[in-house]
Amino acid sequence: MNAIEINNLTRRYGRTDALVDLSLTVHTGSIFALLGPNGAGKTTTIKILMNLIPPTSGRATVLGVESTRIGPKERAQIGYVSENQTLPLWMSVRQLLDYCRPFYPSWDRNLETTLLKQFNLPEDRKLKHLSRGMLMKVALMSALSYRPKLLVLDEPFSGLDPLVRDDFVQGILEASDLGNWTVFISSHDIDEIERLADHVGVIDGGRTKLNESSESLLMRFRRIEVNLQGQTPLLEEMPTNWLAVDRASERVIFIDSRYSEYTADSPYQRYFPDAVVTSHPMTLREIFLTLFRSDRKTSVGIRL
Amino acid sequence: MLPFSIGLKLGLPVTEQIVFAVKKAVVGGQLQTGDKFPSVRVLSQELRISPNTAHKAIAALVDEGVLVATPAIGTVVAPHEAGDRKDCAHLLGAEVERLVVEAKNLGIEQEDVQAAVAAHWEKLETPDRRYSHK
Repeated sequence: MNAIEINNLTRRYGRTDALVDLSLTVHTGSIFALLGPNGAGKTTTIKILMNLIPPTSGRATVLGVESTRIGPKERAQIGYVSENQTLPLWMSVRQLLDYCRPFYPSWDRNLETTLLKQFNLPEDRKLKHLSRGMLMKVALMSALSYRPKLLVLDEPFSGLDPLVRDDFVQGILEASDLGNWTVFISSHDIDEIERLADHVGVIDGGRTKLNESSESLLMRFRRIEVNLQGQTPLLEEMPTNWLAVDRASERVIFIDSRYSEYTADSPYQRYFPDAVVTSHPMTLREIFLTLFRSDRKTSVGIRL
Repeated sequence: MLPFSIGLKLGLPVTEQIVFAVKKAVVGGQLQTGDKFPSVRVLSQELRISPNTAHKAIAALVDEGVLVATPAIGTVVAPHEAGDRKDCAHLLGAEVERLVVEAKNLGIEQEDVQAAVAAHWEKLETPDRRYSHK
């Protein structure tokens, strides 16, 4: 069973299409990162998954249950932390935890104690006197302590300093349970995500652009630099999966999105017979930028 | 703290980086036969990586015979012939290739590269050669 399945999901707000025919699969046991620019539809997707809003058409299942039927019983197995979470600010940290505990049969007191210590939270302080970073830690803590089968995080890192982010990642991993535990995380913080996520989904304009394991993504993309050594290449006929082609006098630079598929016979030999070709790995951030930049420049369809 | 040195870089698959770092530590003597290897949980938390990735790296190392999984104890470093020169050379393959490519790009002759390597070698040579392989 997949932890999350999204099939042809469409959501309209008035005349605006927030999601258009979106399909994504999140395997049980994986850490899945949902990436995309502002307005891509990340939060709308999460709101539908949590049954906070209904889809216009299409369907999504979460832990095997249709999203529109998710109620208290299902929520007891899902940990949800969002950037704009409202917390009862008049309570102290201790009071909030005491309040939450009875709702969850699976609440783990040991994990609660570990996280409280790790996050360095002042138990007696009222939430209204906590910093933003501390509030996010409280929200994460109360979502992790009942060991949810699925953790859904909507922009958890935004506005947090590097120390808090690191605490946050460590806390998430502290609660991990290999194979039985799935994390669905939407974020802008690509560097943080690159290490953490097993799988990356990229959406743009409410549509799926990419859905692939991080490892295969990092293997597939390379920045290729060609030192022409006086040759004249046939740039017009280059494959469409060579993106962002740039040429200076003696050099051609481009992004190859199919690098890992070549076996012995690389196409570089064919296009640049006597040139010196070097390939450079790219970070997830660079790949992300390439996907969006080259898409906007070229009018013809590109192959990702 | 992890018992081997590793600095994860962005842009390269994490599993691959861990496998490489562990092999280097074994060849270099930082990890000895029978040393206990960190669990999936510890590896994942120390490096801030997905437990799946940590699991994959350990599985790959067991698969290649660098680590052995022993019941009750966990994963330990497998017996290893100290100073297997082929292993060492193999580990440096990627670095050597990079050096050669860079040298060719810059139009440097092979002899000059070899001379530069020899000079650096000389510089680092000390009486206490702890990690030498004879």
